[in-house]
Amino acid sequence: MIQHLETDGVPTLLAPTGGPMRAGLTFRVGTADETLARHGITHLLEHLVLAPLGSADYHFNGATGPVFTTFHMQGSAPDIATFLTSVCANLTDLPTGRLEVEKDILRTEWSSRGSAAIDDIPLWRHGARDHGLSSYPEWGLSRLTAEELRQWAARWFTRENAVLWIAGDRVPEGLRLDLPTGTRQPVPTASSALPTTPAYFVHGARAVVLDAVVRRRAAAPVFAEVLERELFRALRQDAGLSYTISTGYEPRGDGQAHLRALADALAEKQDAVVGGFIDVLAKLRVGRIEQSDLDAAVAKRVDMYATAEFDAARLPAYAFNLLTGESNHTTDEQLAQLKAVTLADLHEVAQEAYASALLMVPDGTSADWAGFTAAPTSSESTVSGTTYRSRDDDSRLLVGTEGVSHLGAGGIVTVTYADCAAMLAWPDGARQLIGHDAIVLHIEPTLFDTHPAAMHVIDSGVPVDRQIRMPPRDPEHIPQPCALREARQHLARPKRAGWEVLLMVLCGLATLVVGGFTLLLTIGMLISPTAEEDVTVLWGAVVIGWLLTVILALPIVLLARGRRR
Amino acid sequence: MILAMPAPLAPPVFDAAVAYPQVAAARGALAAGDWPALRALVDAQDAHGRTVLVGEVGGTPDAEPLLRKALAEQPDDPVAAAMLGAHLIRAGWRIRTARQAQDVSREQFVQFFDHLRRAEQILIEATARHPQDAAAWTQRVTSARGLQLGQAEARRRYDRLAAGHPHHLPAQGSLLQQFCPKWSGSWEKAYDFARECTDAAPAGAPNAVLVVEVHLEQAFDHGTLSAARAFLRGQQVRAAIHDAAQRSIWHPEFRHGWGWVQVRSTFALAFCLMQEWTPAAQQFAALGHLGDESMFGYFGDAVAQFQRFREKAYAKGGRP
Repeated sequence: MIQHLETDGVPTLLAPTGGPMRAGLTFRVGTADETLARHGITHLLEHLVLAPLGSADYHFNGATGPVFTTFHMQGSAPDIATFLTSVCANLTDLPTGRLEVEKDILRTEWSSRGSAAIDDIPLWRHGARDHGLSSYPEWGLSRLTAEELRQWAARWFTRENAVLWIAGDRVPEGLRLDLPTGTRQPVPTASSALPTTPAYFVHGARAVVLDAVVRRRAAAPVFAEVLERELFRALRQDAGLSYTISTGYEPRGDGQAHLRALADALAEKQDAVVGGFIDVLAKLRVGRIEQSDLDAAVAKRVDMYATAEFDAARLPAYAFNLLTGESNHTTDEQLAQLKAVTLADLHEVAQEAYASALLMVPDGTSADWAGFTAAPTSSESTVSGTTYRSRDDDSRLLVGTEGVSHLGAGGIVTVTYADCAAMLAWPDGARQLIGHDAIVLHIEPTLFDTHPAAMHVIDSGVPVDRQIRMPPRDPEHIPQPCALREARQHLARPKRAGWEVLLMVLCGLATLVVGGFTLLLTIGMLISPTAEEDVTVLWGAVVIGWLLTVILALPIVLLARGRRR
Repeated sequence: MILAMPAPLAPPVFDAAVAYPQVAAARGALAAGDWPALRALVDAQDAHGRTVLVGEVGGTPDAEPLLRKALAEQPDDPVAAAMLGAHLIRAGWRIRTARQAQDVSREQFVQFFDHLRRAEQILIEATARHPQDAAAWTQRVTSARGLQLGQAEARRRYDRLAAGHPHHLPAQGSLLQQFCPKWSGSWEKAYDFARECTDAAPAGAPNAVLVVEVHLEQAFDHGTLSAARAFLRGQQVRAAIHDAAQRSIWHPEFRHGWGWVQVRSTFALAFCLMQEWTPAAQQFAALGHLGDESMFGYFGDAVAQFQRFREKAYAKGGRP
């Protein structure tokens, strides 16, 4: 039983637990509320709020997701009261002293995190905006000012936009949630970068991943479980093509939910994993769903409901529903919904999942043969503007007042300034324009016959607040046209030291003299008759002569080889 | 003394309808647009027969309207789906032609892949609904090859089929093609598969013909008829082909079931190239007036080649 209370105007949820007290303060804000040019602002704010509380003794942390940000802690009631009171105080009066340090920490956090196969999915489905932003590095960090962060806190971290949840027997004494007033913020509308579904894209990871969007309902997570069982049987048990099979179900906060499934693949079996995966989806789509799978999936979830900690465990999800205005149900209601799920319900989810599918397939494979459309990697149209030719190939760059287009072997890539989510700018002149549709146009001025004025047109076309200054690059990493690259490589060859040349010449001469003499002697020995007693001596001289030649030639060989290394 | 001149032999009959009355019946039903009769005829066959009839009807150029209508009326009918899939695959290949890839135009390839993709989507659904349907899976093994989906995917499809039909020769022949080097396989893989199928098949079953097929494939890969002959006359090759014959055509359990004309024709070709004229003549005699294109077409017109080899076999090996 979850109790609804209120703490300083913040809705508060309380559920019993047999373990230590846990509490979380959740706000309806996340990366999906950001823009690419400010991406990272919520995460940075979360870090700034927690930084002054930084003692490792406490079990507290913050988490920034696509639509929620949570500060949570496990510990004694007084510790939790102190923690959450301080969080609110810091949100109201943001400690910005550590701004630059925390930016660095976040950059390190990004660069050191392992990338997972599914990280790119949001970008392909949604583009470089709202729900797609979680795929991107936190490029907004560098520009963010203390003032912007304060405004962000004032807009999103308000009493009306928060829910407090506590697993424990009471609201801790002395807890104060002193937050500014504001409004409950709706979940941002999910954009789509996919003109048609089912769609697919090719990725370097050795895995096949399905991402589908289905209506949130009791049958949907059951379907995810059934799908996992089918994939396990088809790809692992029967065919031994995959090792890891997993599925996930995550409500998006807008009545829809993401349904994901992953199957990894051995290098030489990737084509079969794609085929097997597609056949499993087809089987479920035509409604061949096993009753035993439905029963097992329901039983597994029923078991979760039966645990004493169930209400405490579902507090975060319950809080999310409260914040997004989605309905919460009692345990009994949920159990009843779960037990009412039929094969027909699962069939309906399967059809929805298939219709909305975005499939990620490994390099060297595709899914067009199965009716999946390739997700766009190029643009439909070009901008009008001045043409600049590539120094290396037939590609062209069009720079106009509306935007930039690149016409190359891979097709057309266009980003208009109005639709540019962000532009990365390197001090050496390189620019990368990222469209809202996630199309990337990278310009290396060294590779095109660009006029400096052209770069100026681009720089003044993209709104200043969407330009992101990147750190200088190692000159080695700046691409150069072929001709220049070869010329530089030629110039860059290390010079031989004077003594090396002298030694090689001397050795060469000595080798020539000794070798020549020995050669003559050898030939002489072979063709002209020699007295018995002289033969031994002369053959000895031949052997010694050849040995000397080899020893004298050795430094030349060694020096030459050393240079090639 | 007057030498009795044998009457010249009539050209062989390659038409499957003559060898298998069910094929003739299927063609009749197709020509009459009588889907229920065609459907009933297919249902009366074993898995091998169903696959043959599906290929036969699918290969008929003007079959599409009837098949589309049948599938529209009964979307979960595996026979209509397999036939329409087979039809689109064959239509695609007719556009592509059997020429080397460099001699096929871009537009031909676009059309070819488009046909195969349409076939594939119909067949995906058919095998999803009817995972035991050998005819639909056989078409999917073939479409995987044209779509260049990969060795592992073709094998996976065959394995799905083999789970219910472990000795399905038409699919085995199709996968054997995929395993040959010309389709990005290797001789080792092709030989292993041929042996695997042969060893698993019951005594007297026709599957051992795969061993002959893979040897002929490698022999013809040498480019000339003389090189092919030299390859096939090697000790090990002879032994392998004789062993295959013992397991199939020479086995007392060998029956003239589905595919027998193709099996005997393939052995006959191999024996001719090995210059074992008596066994070759025996196969030709067992075939009577029948024949199958088999691999006779590799060095020219198949009927003419068949006739030439048959005459030579009868002349040198005696007509039993």
